[in-house]
Amino acid sequence: MKLLAITSCPNGIAHTYMAAENLQKTAEKLGVSIKVETQGSIGVENEFTADEIEAADGIIIAADKTVDKSRFVGKRLFETGVQDGIHKAEDLIKRFETGNVPVYKGDHQSTINKLKEERKSKQNPVYRHLMNGVSYMIPFVVVGGLLIALALALGGEPTDTGLAIPEGSMWNKVLSVGAAGFTFMVPILAGFIAMSIADRPGLAPGMIGGYIAANGSFYDSEAGAGFLGGILAGFVAGYVAKWIKTWPIPKMLQPIMPILVIPLLASLAVASLFIFIVGAPIASLMDGLTAFLNGMQGASSIVLALLLGAMISFDMGGPVNKVAFLFGASMIGAGNTEVMGAIAAAICVPPLAMGVATLLNKKKYEEAEQEAGKAALAMGLVGITEGAIPFAAKDPLRVIPSIMVGSMLASVIAMLGNVGNNVPHGGPVVAVLGAITNPVMYFIGILAGVFVAAFMVNVLKKNV
Amino acid sequence: MKLTDLTNRELISTELKGSTQKEIIDEMIEKLDGVGVLKSKRKFRKAIEKREEEGSTGIGFGIAIPHGKSKAVTSPQVAFGIKREGVDWKSADGSLAKLIFMIAVPEESAGNEHLKILQMLSRKLMNEEFRESLIHVQTTDDAYKLLEEIE
Repeated sequence: MKLLAITSCPNGIAHTYMAAENLQKTAEKLGVSIKVETQGSIGVENEFTADEIEAADGIIIAADKTVDKSRFVGKRLFETGVQDGIHKAEDLIKRFETGNVPVYKGDHQSTINKLKEERKSKQNPVYRHLMNGVSYMIPFVVVGGLLIALALALGGEPTDTGLAIPEGSMWNKVLSVGAAGFTFMVPILAGFIAMSIADRPGLAPGMIGGYIAANGSFYDSEAGAGFLGGILAGFVAGYVAKWIKTWPIPKMLQPIMPILVIPLLASLAVASLFIFIVGAPIASLMDGLTAFLNGMQGASSIVLALLLGAMISFDMGGPVNKVAFLFGASMIGAGNTEVMGAIAAAICVPPLAMGVATLLNKKKYEEAEQEAGKAALAMGLVGITEGAIPFAAKDPLRVIPSIMVGSMLASVIAMLGNVGNNVPHGGPVVAVLGAITNPVMYFIGILAGVFVAAFMVNVLKKNV
Repeated sequence: MKLTDLTNRELISTELKGSTQKEIIDEMIEKLDGVGVLKSKRKFRKAIEKREEEGSTGIGFGIAIPHGKSKAVTSPQVAFGIKREGVDWKSADGSLAKLIFMIAVPEESAGNEHLKILQMLSRKLMNEEFRESLIHVQTTDDAYKLLEEIE
């Protein structure tokens, strides 16, 4: 027979451990296997794992303090005072042999918690780490995106170089605050992915790695690696930190491991990865794509529109997106405003589509995502593609293809409708500001792309 | 760290004078105060009494471990005393307390090594042989040697 026991007392200094000792000794005498978790003033020691709880034949709680029982729903459980652990250990253990112990059904809340816990433990760990990063990132995207959206919508003026906000105006300050929020987006994503993998020692290398990933200047690239680079940085930092933790370390050095050695080495590792390995391919990818697009100018405008739409949605602010956007902007200078018209329609599809998707089917999105969906709608209206990043980062394989299809459709319709745009910026806001020729086709393209992408992603996604 | 890092010969008494629970508590508090770890005897006594009200610290087997966690304590300390005739400590098993450990723990302190040591003491007291040896010691030195085993 395998038993588990928890002991706990008011001060957690003495009785907790006496009861634990006695239960262990008595179990040994009776030939019963037991593991005792002590919840004393040192904290919880000898904590049970989910597997141990699963395998246990019964749970003894000998405590004069409230013990959370939600872990034990569905197990035979006997609860008593800590004194019984000290004096009646034999009775307690034998009780489970005679079979006279009811199964703990739990209150409603603990049943829910247990289900959640089970679902969590069954989740793929990679997905769990990603989720952790995304959940911390969402508020940064929402705050940053909403402020930027507000500033652009109310203070922006269309110019040759995009929507500009006059310097010195209040909206310029709002924009800067929003930009500050966006600056943290990728570092927070990477940092909390790494922290989920390696606990606290992972946070610093993850955030630093995320910052490097998001700033191309570290590796001589015009654009950073975007959120996809951030995800890579988070996982690399996390697993490196976790690996360093397994090194055999002399006891004397152990205290400085989590605050000095692990963060330092893992940060250097992830920084080297970007500076020496990932950086150059990103820069050459951008050069290659730019050359490729320039070569496409004579080809079919529909193929070009499909390609640009796909590129805009692929990494939302990452290098591929940047190449497509800069290509469109350079075409305005060359007198061709239709390329930017197609891109402008594609730009707003990812956030608008994800916002609409959360409204269409709430069951597929967690509460935080539903809130992020509303913010994404606002960001979409002013052409901030990044609004869809929380969704794409959490579930890239379902979200990215969907929004790519939506953006491609919007882009092609705009191109076929001869939509022109002489401001390098996207979303409905440029039409409202009068920069779009043939706005009807522009909006038809956006709406078609948004709804197709929203339906597609909801079909692909499972219920939460 | 060992238990003897938290106690010393002055805190060990092989013949407690008091004949009631209250007298013995007072007597042991005086000893702790004597080595200068209490900022306020009154506040520490309150912590001890409060713990006894929550449930007797007479754990049976002839042992009582009155303990208090209080801001009035400057550093963790253990006093040990023997009362051979025994004293009523309202123990769970009705036995009289003969071996008494008074434990003083600061409200907040750096690290938890002292808690680990107290944990080892608690676990050791569940050992019958150890209890037998303790009750039979005659001199402070013998008692000190036994407590030295706890590490």
